Amino acid sequence: MLGWEFPPFFAGGAGIVCNELTRALNRTGADVTFIMPSGPEEIYENLNIDEPGKPRFRILIANNIYPGKPTKVYKVDSLLQAYTTSEQYEHTYNRHMQKRKGKHGALYGRNLKEEVMRFAEKAREIALMEDFDVIHAHDWTTFLAGIEIKKATGKPLVVQVHITEFDKTGGDHADPFIYSIEKRGMDESDRIITVSNKLKDTCINRYFADPAKIRVVHNAATTMRSKEDYDGAHIKAGDKVVLFAGRVTLQKGPDYFVYAAKKVLDQAPNTKFVIAGNGDMLPQVINLVADLGLSKNFIFTGFYTREEGEKLFSLADVFVMPSVSEPFGLVPYEAQIKRTPTIISKQSGISEVLRHALKVDFWDVDEMAHKILALLHYSSLHNELKHNGYEEARNATWDVPAGKCLGIYNEIIGRGEI
Amino acid sequence: MKMVKICFYFQVHQPHRLKKYSIFSIGKDNDYFDHKKNKEVMHKITRKNYIPMNNLLLHLIKKHKGKFKVSFSITGTAMEQFEEYAPEVLESFKELARTDCVEFLNETYHHSLSYLYSKEEFKEQLEMHRKMIKKHFKQEPKVFRNTELVFSNELAKYVEDLGYKGIIAEGADHILQGRNPGHVYRAVSTEKIKVLLKNYKLSDDIAFRFSNKGWEEHPLTAEKYATWINSHNGTSELINLFMDYETFGEHQWEDTGIFTFMKQLPEELLKHPDNSFVTVSEAVMQHEPRDVIDNHNFTSWADIERDLTAWLGNSLQNSAKQELYNMEKHVKKTRNKELINTWRKMTTSDHFYYMCTKWFNDGDVHKYFNPYESPYEAFITFMNVLNDFSRRIQRKKPAEEQIIVNDTPSIILAQ
Repeated sequence: MLGWEFPPFFAGGAGIVCNELTRALNRTGADVTFIMPSGPEEIYENLNIDEPGKPRFRILIANNIYPGKPTKVYKVDSLLQAYTTSEQYEHTYNRHMQKRKGKHGALYGRNLKEEVMRFAEKAREIALMEDFDVIHAHDWTTFLAGIEIKKATGKPLVVQVHITEFDKTGGDHADPFIYSIEKRGMDESDRIITVSNKLKDTCINRYFADPAKIRVVHNAATTMRSKEDYDGAHIKAGDKVVLFAGRVTLQKGPDYFVYAAKKVLDQAPNTKFVIAGNGDMLPQVINLVADLGLSKNFIFTGFYTREEGEKLFSLADVFVMPSVSEPFGLVPYEAQIKRTPTIISKQSGISEVLRHALKVDFWDVDEMAHKILALLHYSSLHNELKHNGYEEARNATWDVPAGKCLGIYNEIIGRGEI
Repeated sequence: MKMVKICFYFQVHQPHRLKKYSIFSIGKDNDYFDHKKNKEVMHKITRKNYIPMNNLLLHLIKKHKGKFKVSFSITGTAMEQFEEYAPEVLESFKELARTDCVEFLNETYHHSLSYLYSKEEFKEQLEMHRKMIKKHFKQEPKVFRNTELVFSNELAKYVEDLGYKGIIAEGADHILQGRNPGHVYRAVSTEKIKVLLKNYKLSDDIAFRFSNKGWEEHPLTAEKYATWINSHNGTSELINLFMDYETFGEHQWEDTGIFTFMKQLPEELLKHPDNSFVTVSEAVMQHEPRDVIDNHNFTSWADIERDLTAWLGNSLQNSAKQELYNMEKHVKKTRNKELINTWRKMTTSDHFYYMCTKWFNDGDVHKYFNPYESPYEAFITFMNVLNDFSRRIQRKKPAEEQIIVNDTPSIILAQ
């Protein structure tokens, strides 16, 4: 398994998915060797993913995948991190080199292209010492590594796409370097996994990927840490709370949330709106709230930790995910598991699988406001969604996507190429 | 040796679907129904189902010279939409009525579950429906069928007291307890009224399984089906085949061969000289109850559970129906025909059916003509309409009698 982030060090959904998927695969008895790059200042000593004593299950479908050993994590020193652009990389690189005051013993390459290739080389070396049946690479930063290992070992390659350059840039400003690696990964793979049908379409339409190679494996619900509920009564002070949680960026549609809030407040003035998260659009959103005269109804939390997030989901009466583009979008599951009804954008991958959520087009702020009001106003609607949403998220376990992955491994192992 | 009589009864129903009605429309828009959608659906079904099937039945009745008979239950809401959007369908049913081989049952005009919440409303809707049948088809119905075949001992008794000779119910396993649906039964606590029970196996072979390629009996031919019915000779008096009329051409498309099947079926069955067809009232008149059935709890013909959970299984449905029926006396007090009529259109059971959330197992059937993306949307629309409607009634009432449709009093919508 090739990934670039793994909890507790992660920047987004793909790290969570790697964690959950690896553990679920491991639970089925599959042996997973996870190779990831790491930043120079990160510490992995406390990372314990062995989970000894957990019951093991025999693999039924993929008997070529040998059972037995627990998950291993190798770290390839790297500056490669999630959501890195060439520009950001150079900045990080320079800062890092300043700190090290020119001690040039380290491995890190001068630019992103070099770094991705270095990771590929390093990962290949590790792989040559390992015994395995399938290469599974997550997102573009690891695709070159996947391709290198496939070349060196002849093992089949699965690339998993969590997001593409088109989703990150909101359309037509894809970085040609990243695009070319994404495309190569898809072209040279034996199977492509996408986390939604929507993303499958992007792979076909933008990367001209072979539809026959693509398998859609929807994500499941994140495992929550705390079981306790948090009512946040002192924050709410008797008012209802509507929550936005995520990066405050164009992709997540925070401005649509504010426009919808305006319409809600016209009808139900005693409602509080919380925007949790950080991002480049935050100053703009704060200004918008002020311009619309809504400041007294808004709370901005800034960056929040996992634990704080769980509290927010617990106390909120409604969670809204108005994303403009969301290849999957795990967050609604986190709200549902905390028994908070959700309103999600139809432009999200998760809307393909979520039944017990209200759905809106992200641009339709009238409809968004209408649904927020309905949830605040009709208690039986709120109760029904709370209950059914909770059950839905609780039943969305990672055993399902892990099972699908095993099926896909089996398809390509069974082709006799090994 | 007893020979079987085949009793076909077809349910014809279309609801007045609500249009998308936002919270922001409350107080501003009095028109709740989706005329465009209702018209489209009516035109589509007219073309695919009503006209071709009515023509086929007419042809069969003429061909078999009175030996082929069927019964219908047509709701008032369907009739209203025939009159408005498809008068040719109404004419065609009238023509069927004139053959004397077609009988019409009595049910609640608005296809409602009013029996469960308001006996008064229930009686009024039966009366409206009876008058409508008489006006259009010149018949006096003697047999009652309740919406979705909702049935219980108590209901049978109530309907008996209203003077009906017969009532229709689902031949559910727990009612029959191993007995044969091919006889007439009597419900506990009733004296005369006869119960006709649906043979769900043979009915569903046509209504649900006909085009299922995974079914071991597929393809089902009229000849094969006739042998199944003939095999009941000697053990059954009646084969009650009750189903939605939309089965023919809509649930089962024309290309499945459903029309050909129905075209050949009477001939196949009448090949056996002792077989015959009867209408529901003939079935009731010609047979005496064989045994007593005891159905304390309500049953219906819906889903695998055969109970009321498709309409009243969750808090959305319960809350919506409660708010609706709480309004009844206020609505009626206005004596405003238009308001009462609008309220009644809201009693149609489909509105509650759309709010059903247990769609993982039975979802397929629930999707037919469902105008909503989800049960939650159905609830929101219904409640928004009810909110506006209650405001209109309040304007016609003195202040001390004000009613509020609002299950969360803490949030008051701005007027």
